[in-house]
Amino acid sequence: MIILEDKKIVSSKFHIENSHTLSVAKEHGTYSSIERLFTLSSEEIIAIIKESHLRGKGGGGAPAGNKWALMPLGELKPSFLAVNCDESEPGTFKDREIISKDPHLLIEGIICTCFAIKSHTAYIYVRGEYKEFSNILQSAIDEAYEAGYLGENIFNKGYKLDVIVHRGAGAYICGEKSALLESLEGKRGHPRVKPHQQECEWYFDNPTLVNNVETIASVPFIVKNGADAYKEFGTSSSPGTLLFAMSGHVNKPGVYESEFGICMMDYINHYGGGIKNGKKLKAIIPGGASTKILTADEVGLAKLDYETMKALGSSLGTGGMIVMDEDTNMVEALKNLLEFYHHESCGQCTPCREGTGWVDTIMQNLLDGVARGEDIEKILEISKTMNGQTICVFAPAVSDVIDGFITKFRSEFESYVREDLT
Amino acid sequence: MSFNFNDDNLEKIELLKSKYPKVQALSLPLLWMAQYQDGFISLEAIQEIAKICETPMMEIYKVSTFYSMFNLQKLGKYHIQLCKTLSCKLCNKDDVLKSIQNELNIQVGESTSDGLFTLSQVECLGSCGTSPVMQLNETYYENLTPISIVEILKALK
Amino acid sequence: MSLVTVNIDDKSYEAKENSLLIDLLILHDIKVPYFCYHESLGADGNCRMCMVEIEGKKRPQIACDTFVSDGMSIQTASEKISSVRKRILELELINHPVDCPICDQAGECKLQDYYMDFGLYDSNIDMKEKVHNKKHIALGSSVILDRERCVLCTRCVRFTSNITKSGELGVINRGDKACISTVPGMKLDNPYAMNVVDLCPVGALTSKEFRFAQRVWFLKSTPSICHGCSTGCNIFIDHNQEKYKEDKIYRIRPRKNREVNGDFICDYGRLSYKNLQENRQQELLNKSNVISYEDALLELNSKISGSKNIVILVDANLYNEDIAAISNFSQKIGAKLVCPTECYFDDSFGDDWLKSDYKCANLQAIKNYKIDSLFSSDQQIDLLINFNHPSFSKFSSKQSVEFSTHKGSSAELVLAIPAYSEYSGTTINDANIEQYSQKAITTDVATISEYLSDLSKVAL
Repeated sequence: MIILEDKKIVSSKFHIENSHTLSVAKEHGTYSSIERLFTLSSEEIIAIIKESHLRGKGGGGAPAGNKWALMPLGELKPSFLAVNCDESEPGTFKDREIISKDPHLLIEGIICTCFAIKSHTAYIYVRGEYKEFSNILQSAIDEAYEAGYLGENIFNKGYKLDVIVHRGAGAYICGEKSALLESLEGKRGHPRVKPHQQECEWYFDNPTLVNNVETIASVPFIVKNGADAYKEFGTSSSPGTLLFAMSGHVNKPGVYESEFGICMMDYINHYGGGIKNGKKLKAIIPGGASTKILTADEVGLAKLDYETMKALGSSLGTGGMIVMDEDTNMVEALKNLLEFYHHESCGQCTPCREGTGWVDTIMQNLLDGVARGEDIEKILEISKTMNGQTICVFAPAVSDVIDGFITKFRSEFESYVREDLT
Repeated sequence: MSFNFNDDNLEKIELLKSKYPKVQALSLPLLWMAQYQDGFISLEAIQEIAKICETPMMEIYKVSTFYSMFNLQKLGKYHIQLCKTLSCKLCNKDDVLKSIQNELNIQVGESTSDGLFTLSQVECLGSCGTSPVMQLNETYYENLTPISIVEILKALK
Repeated sequence: MSLVTVNIDDKSYEAKENSLLIDLLILHDIKVPYFCYHESLGADGNCRMCMVEIEGKKRPQIACDTFVSDGMSIQTASEKISSVRKRILELELINHPVDCPICDQAGECKLQDYYMDFGLYDSNIDMKEKVHNKKHIALGSSVILDRERCVLCTRCVRFTSNITKSGELGVINRGDKACISTVPGMKLDNPYAMNVVDLCPVGALTSKEFRFAQRVWFLKSTPSICHGCSTGCNIFIDHNQEKYKEDKIYRIRPRKNREVNGDFICDYGRLSYKNLQENRQQELLNKSNVISYEDALLELNSKISGSKNIVILVDANLYNEDIAAISNFSQKIGAKLVCPTECYFDDSFGDDWLKSDYKCANLQAIKNYKIDSLFSSDQQIDLLINFNHPSFSKFSSKQSVEFSTHKGSSAELVLAIPAYSEYSGTTINDANIEQYSQKAITTDVATISEYLSDLSKVAL
């Protein structure tokens, strides 16, 4: 697929000056889904979202409609929406664009979503570091309250909705939905043990929906234009668009929305202006640090959709690509990421708490020239122990990262080994 | 020594209480508030927050040690938090770090003797498209070079 | 709840539907390693040790988060599971100092046990590469924390958060820097604090009282009932007789009894062993002179025969068998049998959990024998015979005899008797449950029953 035109659902106003203000946003169509929204029932909206095949854009890619359908609509208990803006996955910086350049689109999405799941309170959990951007979001919320778009009786439709920005304080793991809710309850961000059946999330024992910022920001388009309009973008199983992003060794790093299904290399060349300094590509981490690295050959086969990326043994993740040129030292790159995971492991369960530290130590030994050949095997073995034995998917992701780097670039790791050590 | 939230904050706390189903949820907002009020989070502040959140002091203390942005000790007036994760690393953050260390004559984890600067390296700031990046207190400085960082620091001295 | 059949390692077991698999494994003594799960604290899922293979599940599952259903088929010792356990155990141990030779937990340490059962690999890590941490932190309440030995199972934290609700302990920091702590400057301080020592599956929390006192494999554990109050907590008395030395109690530990004390005891009861071996009356004294057993009985007999108005005081800590014998005896000699109970009452001691307001073990027997508990004498007492009742000194009498466990009696005739740990008997707790204490420590001193039976022979 050749990129012929920019297809935008979420980023259409990013380039407009003062797009974060209510007047400019409204002028360019924000809040235009509201009229239709209030003509629909909860069940109808959820059916439309299901029909659109909108997939979660925080990294997991689970169908959003199915998640919404888990909310018990007839409950007497209050229900909540928690919007995940804890964007901390290395290589990912797209939600920040939404909350600072089109916060009203997010608010509009929150209104649609809360109305659908019969919730009257939404929290936007913004990572602590994004203070400047959450300030912009907060002013937009204030403006929306002022205009009667939020508050006791929104749009005079007899519906009450409060939106609260909740600031994190520096913890990658709080992007995991259950850890996010723990944090939102005022606790340490420890992921919860998974339930045995499919069910909604719980905030202080109240039914709760957790969705990523971009997912919610995609909702107004679908509510306004219908599921079919959304499915006109992308592929049949990965419909719509994603705020893909590039960083690292590209000429024009940044966030560029694209529909699913285009070739990764086309994306890099079209939006990113190719590899920096005319170098050759060595590898790309396709969707945030926790997705398995692709070699240049694999990148040649990669298309930006969930299915192709899965077939390549990796995943689409957040769509945040980290591009590495031919001069990149893979041992140092992996060490860099393992330091990240070592620092960010919550420490709750054993394989992750001890494993992330241990692999980091061995990698340091490798770089220091005091590691033996068996140490590479040892890393792979620890990595195996970290996969599938933990409470959350943090450790399995680390395991994938290690496995990708070492199996695909093994000779580089072996070149650091000192066999003369006893 | 004791800690009391100022009147402004007390008013905000009352408002916050109405926004959450349980008062325990206020621990992060209140820790932030205390850190803004004093520049760091003291044990006295933790005790006061525990009282407001109707929870044992340990609950607040352990939360305060989990999140990397809460400072239980006083820092320099300007807290340089240089991102060290992969995209910034690929875009030569190490050169920027050297430049900072030369300019301020301190190592990572240290503060200048005049108490003006504290230098930290932090994990991914979520600004990979404009790397290398640092957060100076709460402001992002993006697309840093070894030269631009010196200009930024000089302007603050 | 209906019963279901599950298959574990190719054997059938019955279990309640939706009950926890780990409880079933423990019940049937099927070996499964675990640190964080505890019957009284529930599941937490953090240690990841109790992995089992469940038919139809791709990955190993933790037994503490698996609910039993009909027809479930479980493997606990397959090659896959053994290898998973071994590798997770290795991770538990990578930052552990392996200082077993100087660790008090050695011999009752789950890390040691599991290493022998499931580990037995060669160490892959240098001591210098381990994350080092503080080794001797006094948490308060006689509990010492060694952070290097801790596996962060959080049993101690969950005990103070969910059971005592005193909330002193918590996990601070993150990742492999996470550790158990109190708030700086604050102490672990509640009447049940020392239970965390028993809860700790490794040598991270040890008792200051027991540190370096004795190797656990030398200790004999005798089941008994705590005499600290009328709750009747089930305990083990751990003791050892070293060569050429007296048999000595080194500690008291809770003994599980769902109906009485669960898995716990209070610190007061736990430390009450000290009083059992301090300042003890060993000899028989007549006006401060040591006399023989036979002479003592003769002297007692003559005092009884020469007195008209006799009052017998009986301690509400004595065994039922003692109280029965004393009751018979008092009827025989026409004495008034009393047990003023006010002295045991202390409402500052009692709480709404294990500690009761009455600090005596067998109040119920006093009630059952309808022994006068309000006695205060305005009549002249000719002879007062006290069976270890604490209020002896409050009564005046022409003559006095005291059967006493501890020194300091002012009676003319003092007869040493054993403490409850030194002979067997039953007590009835305040929930009317009759419980048996075994003899833990051997002593030469005669029991009350022996005295009274021998006395009847002298009197003949």
